[in-house]
Amino acid sequence: MATIESIQKAYIDFVLTEGQQPKSVYIFAKKNKMAEEEFYQFFGSFNAIEQNIWTGFAVKTIAEIKTQEVWSQYSAREKALSFFYSFFELLKSSRSFVVYSVKKQQKSFSTPQTFTGIKDIFESFCNDLIVEGLESNELSERKFFSNRYKDALWVQLVFVLNFWINDNSTGFEKTDEAIERGINVTFDLFQRSPIDNLFEYGKFLAKNGGLKAKMGFGSN
Amino acid sequence: MNDNTPKEQNSIPTSKVQRSAKFVKTGFKIGGNYIKHYSKKLFNPEMDKSELNEDNASDIYESLSELKGSALKVAQMLSMDKNLLPQAYTDKFSQSQYNAPPLSGPLIVQTFKKYFGKTPDKIYDKFNVRSSNAASIGQVHQAELNGKKLAVKIQYPGVGDSISSDLKLVKPFAFRMLGMSEKELDIYMREVEERLLEETDYELEVRRSIEFSTACAGLDNVVFPKYYPELSSKRIITMDWLEGKHLREFLQTNPSQQLRNTIGQALWNFYNFQQHELRAVHADPHPGNFMITSENKLGVIDFGCIKEMPEDFYYPFFSLTSTGLMDNKEETIKAFRQLEMIHPNDTPAQIEFYYSMYRQMIGLFAKPYITDHFDFGQTAFFDELYGFGEKVSKMPEFKQARGVKHFIYVNRTNFGLYNILHELKAQVRTDTFKPHVVEQFA
Repeated sequence: MATIESIQKAYIDFVLTEGQQPKSVYIFAKKNKMAEEEFYQFFGSFNAIEQNIWTGFAVKTIAEIKTQEVWSQYSAREKALSFFYSFFELLKSSRSFVVYSVKKQQKSFSTPQTFTGIKDIFESFCNDLIVEGLESNELSERKFFSNRYKDALWVQLVFVLNFWINDNSTGFEKTDEAIERGINVTFDLFQRSPIDNLFEYGKFLAKNGGLKAKMGFGSN
Repeated sequence: MNDNTPKEQNSIPTSKVQRSAKFVKTGFKIGGNYIKHYSKKLFNPEMDKSELNEDNASDIYESLSELKGSALKVAQMLSMDKNLLPQAYTDKFSQSQYNAPPLSGPLIVQTFKKYFGKTPDKIYDKFNVRSSNAASIGQVHQAELNGKKLAVKIQYPGVGDSISSDLKLVKPFAFRMLGMSEKELDIYMREVEERLLEETDYELEVRRSIEFSTACAGLDNVVFPKYYPELSSKRIITMDWLEGKHLREFLQTNPSQQLRNTIGQALWNFYNFQQHELRAVHADPHPGNFMITSENKLGVIDFGCIKEMPEDFYYPFFSLTSTGLMDNKEETIKAFRQLEMIHPNDTPAQIEFYYSMYRQMIGLFAKPYITDHFDFGQTAFFDELYGFGEKVSKMPEFKQARGVKHFIYVNRTNFGLYNILHELKAQVRTDTFKPHVVEQFA
């Protein structure tokens, strides 16, 4: 009897050996000695398998980091760091598949279908920690922008993923550094910073702009 | 920068460009400090340079401590040479011997997963992700296993990679601060680089720590933590947690003269046993590497830096500490030649000059060895030592490279030892482990 895992495994094995997706579900099912309809009980298409594998990475990572004893003591920043480190540690065991799956995507501005599932999971994870960070005042509440914090983290994830794929340092140490630095910069921006002060100063000037005319130099 | 508690630091700038940027920033700041100094001086001519020195030291410390790793190590080394630096630099640098801002918790967890495949809380019964202090190229965490308190030292990722590029960056600063010639600095830097690279090898450090603590086990009043090779790896060292006070804290408790003598004696024996019996020495005698335990014993941690002394250095150098040889001018000059303190193409006048200078210098250094006991509390000896150092550092004859490279760490070790003994104001029996000497050279 096939299971989600066994189909995923067979699929990964197939694409890595053949370098491409099976021509049809029929061929794939036959090769793995199961009925085609059995396949559809689990997945609607090959892309759905890939999507599911990616989602699985995130779900597994989140479950894993939450079991760590230190989890509850972590700040939002550290929780994000923890996700990134564990995620890429997990990816190591499936590096070939990851490289295959990422490289196959066409360049586009919207998120490729393969990644829509993991994006949802990741964003809801980020949302939780951002809300937590806002409540504890670790992060700065900004109109419009604080809703977009999670997008910045998603961009980071995609960036580090591409970095990791091209990383050939031993033990992917460079990726660790990319994470440490990238996430920290991102969270530094989320915190109250000179930008906020600059922004507020701008607002002040705009509101009190009338003064300029009265105080203007030499107009009368 | 009045904030005395260092902020938690979340990244080490590691790429060379980024590190350079850091140093450039320091350069600007120092420039700024000079401007500040001179503009203030316009209004107040009485002002001396100590505020300026303090500003500079503080900025340099800040950028060095953000760079972590080898740069911090250099800061530590510089602070050993009190005679070479104005007081303000020294005070600020001494900070780096105790604390530098820590790295983020998840990176620690990640390092464990990488080397043991498990998170620290699965390896130890308890593990504190907040580090208790920095160890220059790593940081120390407290852990517990089977009821035992442990110290876990974790190395920052990428430290080994950045050492060489770091030292190149430190060079112009060291150059400016120490006023050394480029060639002299080069010898120094290469030797330092070699030792630092050894220090990044934690597997080697565990092996050596076990070797040395076994060899020194017979010494009175010296204790070592137990090391756990099975809980150590390339980037992680696990050892027993030594409970105790750092030197400075210990001194604040106003210990009795007798107690200070005991600790001082333990320190003296520890170093001289290594130098003269093992011919390899724990070459990092900064106060942060020692603890005074509640039983009033000297605890020694950190065997990262070991200097081995080859025979062709050991014999000429330590033989000079015996009066018999120093009274014989011809043999002394032979020894100086072997140590490259006198060069083959020196003129007779130069030979005479360097002979008399080095004779004085080594005579000073050897003072504690000449008698069977020595009072390190007396300031006269140290004033003479620093005074001589200052005089020499201003002499153009000493701008060029002289002396074999082994001097760097051996001097650092011995002057470091003298300094600590001085801070302890200890009276020490100095004939416990005597140098092996020869009185004639081939």
